[in-house]
Amino acid sequence: MSNLFEFPEDREASSAAKVRALEALLIEKGVLGSDSVDAVLKHFETMAGPFNGAKIVAHAWVDPAYKQRLLDDTPKAIAELSLPLGMAGAEGEHMAAVANSSDVHNLIICTLCSCYPWPVLGLPPYWYKDPVFRARGVREPRAVLQEFGVTVPPTKQVKVWDSSAQIRWFVIPEQPANTGHLSEAELATLVTPESMMGVALVAAPAV
Amino acid sequence: MKLAHHLGGIENLGPVSTDTRVFAEPWEQRIFGIHTVMMAESAHLANARHAYPVSTLPTTFKNDWTWASLRTGAEDMNPFEYFKYRYYEKWLGGISQFFVDQGYITADELAQKTAHFRAHPDAALPEQPNPELSRQVDAYLLNGDSGYHEAHAAPRFAAGAEVWVADPQAVDHTRLPGYLRNRRGVVDCVYGGTFAYFVSTGVDGIGTPMPVYRIAFDAADIWGPGKSEPNTTIYADLFEAYLQPVADQPNNERTEP
Repeated sequence: MSNLFEFPEDREASSAAKVRALEALLIEKGVLGSDSVDAVLKHFETMAGPFNGAKIVAHAWVDPAYKQRLLDDTPKAIAELSLPLGMAGAEGEHMAAVANSSDVHNLIICTLCSCYPWPVLGLPPYWYKDPVFRARGVREPRAVLQEFGVTVPPTKQVKVWDSSAQIRWFVIPEQPANTGHLSEAELATLVTPESMMGVALVAAPAV
Repeated sequence: MKLAHHLGGIENLGPVSTDTRVFAEPWEQRIFGIHTVMMAESAHLANARHAYPVSTLPTTFKNDWTWASLRTGAEDMNPFEYFKYRYYEKWLGGISQFFVDQGYITADELAQKTAHFRAHPDAALPEQPNPELSRQVDAYLLNGDSGYHEAHAAPRFAAGAEVWVADPQAVDHTRLPGYLRNRRGVVDCVYGGTFAYFVSTGVDGIGTPMPVYRIAFDAADIWGPGKSEPNTTIYADLFEAYLQPVADQPNNERTEP
């Protein structure tokens, strides 16, 4: 979409200067400390991120009873695992998981803004925040998924979850075939943020 | 009609972005961080479900700043600009304007300081740490800001009930996706408890604690059978104010999406 518009040549440099100016002024005025923004960013490097979601999904794959508990009461099941503090923290106060299967493909969307389950997935990627995805995902999810390289046959049910109130959704993707020999930790390395939002399938490791 | 209220369902926009980056440029991290610090020191947190000691924080920030603030700003945008600007460009515009409008900074000093950093991109920020605020940032991120409240009355609708989505007057801010207005769906789940929203949206209807429902819609009932993909269900979490009994629907005719 944005290729329809003209932007100044110094688009990024001027935004970079403006945000630095804003941060500097807010520090001078006592609204922020010089360490405040870094405190936020550090949280998303060490505490909240897709590394947590990948561990949850891998555990659900190796333990079907856990997977059922995760679907039945997502916060409680997440609390069973050894994950960083804050799994019910900001933008994860009320999370819920849905599972892909041979019959159902799930797609998570936020048509009104960009609601995203921070503790388990970190911050939303650009495709998720993009207005074109948000416009089209609810009307033609299969066409959108095809553009991401995921083919969902008409016989398979597509469930689209529009996050507009308290729940932050994520997907338990299907475990790829021929990965039963992998350890839980090895499986976790295969799980991408896109697969936990429903726009990608999890691929087996290349051999 | 506001674009952001009615984004879901717009046609002819071309291919989706498949950009998996969280930040397109390093500067975007800073505006994300500024916004999140503002949420962590927002005055409303003194009375949140998980109450925070924001009234005694060493900060000059005295406003409420929540997702509702950022969303209301985005909903107020010119539709062409909404498509033109990248996600964090919108944040930078909205948040800068907020600080000017509220008198924390002036437009002139922001312009002068921006020119300074444009000429000296590597010039240092002032060194003025605020450890107490950093601890509050951590506490907020770890504990969040749930709108949950105990229920004091039975929810109006039960699982399995057919409901009709209300069409309240559109004001500055809503959590009702426009494409669901006047559509019929089925209650898939009644969430336990009640949920407040950060602000009152006035005649739109949310703010005070109320039940929230997960409503299932057949895509064909929303877009029309000829305009929807087969075998597709859309689920939306809707506050009770946005739902009506089907018996109250004035007629069964549906407007074209």
